[in-house]
Amino acid sequence: MTEVSPQEWLAAAVALGRAGFDYFDWLGCVDEIGRRDCFRIVLVVRNLSAAAEPRMLSCSLPRDDPRIQTVRGVFAGAGWHEREVAELFGVEFLGGEASRLLLNPEFEGRPLRKDEVLAARTGMNWPGAKEPGEGGNPGERGEEGVSPSRRRMVPPGVPDPVVWGDRDAWRPAAAPAEVAESAGGGRVRRRRT
Amino acid sequence: MSSPESSHRWIRLIEPACTSCMICARECPSWCISIDSHTEPVAGLPPAARDRTRNVLDRFAIDWSLCMYCGICVEECPYDALEWVGDLTQPRSSSEALVEEMVEKPSADSV
Repeated sequence: MTEVSPQEWLAAAVALGRAGFDYFDWLGCVDEIGRRDCFRIVLVVRNLSAAAEPRMLSCSLPRDDPRIQTVRGVFAGAGWHEREVAELFGVEFLGGEASRLLLNPEFEGRPLRKDEVLAARTGMNWPGAKEPGEGGNPGERGEEGVSPSRRRMVPPGVPDPVVWGDRDAWRPAAAPAEVAESAGGGRVRRRRT
Repeated sequence: MSSPESSHRWIRLIEPACTSCMICARECPSWCISIDSHTEPVAGLPPAARDRTRNVLDRFAIDWSLCMYCGICVEECPYDALEWVGDLTQPRSSSEALVEEMVEKPSADSV
């Protein structure tokens, strides 16, 4: 995988196309929050006329202002992948097509960012909140449930309420990395009372 | 995997194998599995043994209006208590009726 800067991105893609790697395979994005404060854009192209390994081009963009040049002028099929990355991660492709590919035009949010909270689910009863041996509605027996020694489960996509949603008013809003880390699902810290 | 028996049409609970461990309900991305269970003491232990309890399944329901037939529950179950069935889910007159109760008779005698 070749790592390039955002300034070199377009030129590197053009160079790959000229070198015979003119078959576009895919373009994707990775939210690297928690490791580095950036999005990684990955482009994979192939050379169909030679038995060569596919070439991967990668570029890191700052999370607070992710912009990169479009490569749809080089690989026409990349336009669809760029539109998908643009709406799911909120990455701006300069010179790319602005219209949405998958999501409703009215939809707000960047659903594949790891700090994106599934807000509608925070107010719903999660069936998995019950412990084995527990009946009725979750929380019916109080926050302790049938196994008070175990920490409470939260579903993936819904952060620990202590971090997001039910955060102490005097604390500043949680950093995106903290929200992302706590929204992975699993058992959460005991509530301090 | 192309026979009707193994196709993605309906998910069945194999009740004797279920331990009410909640793993399927927690792994389900659609939140469509509801489980109620209770604990009861294990009988027939040796006189000196300390009391033990086991989980008893009271209710296992899949809401077909939410299920997307992804099969994650079937894959995740450590006791192979869920399986694909070739039958189709039946049309129902309301969304409430799409909640399929899979435990036939709740064990009223044990409460």
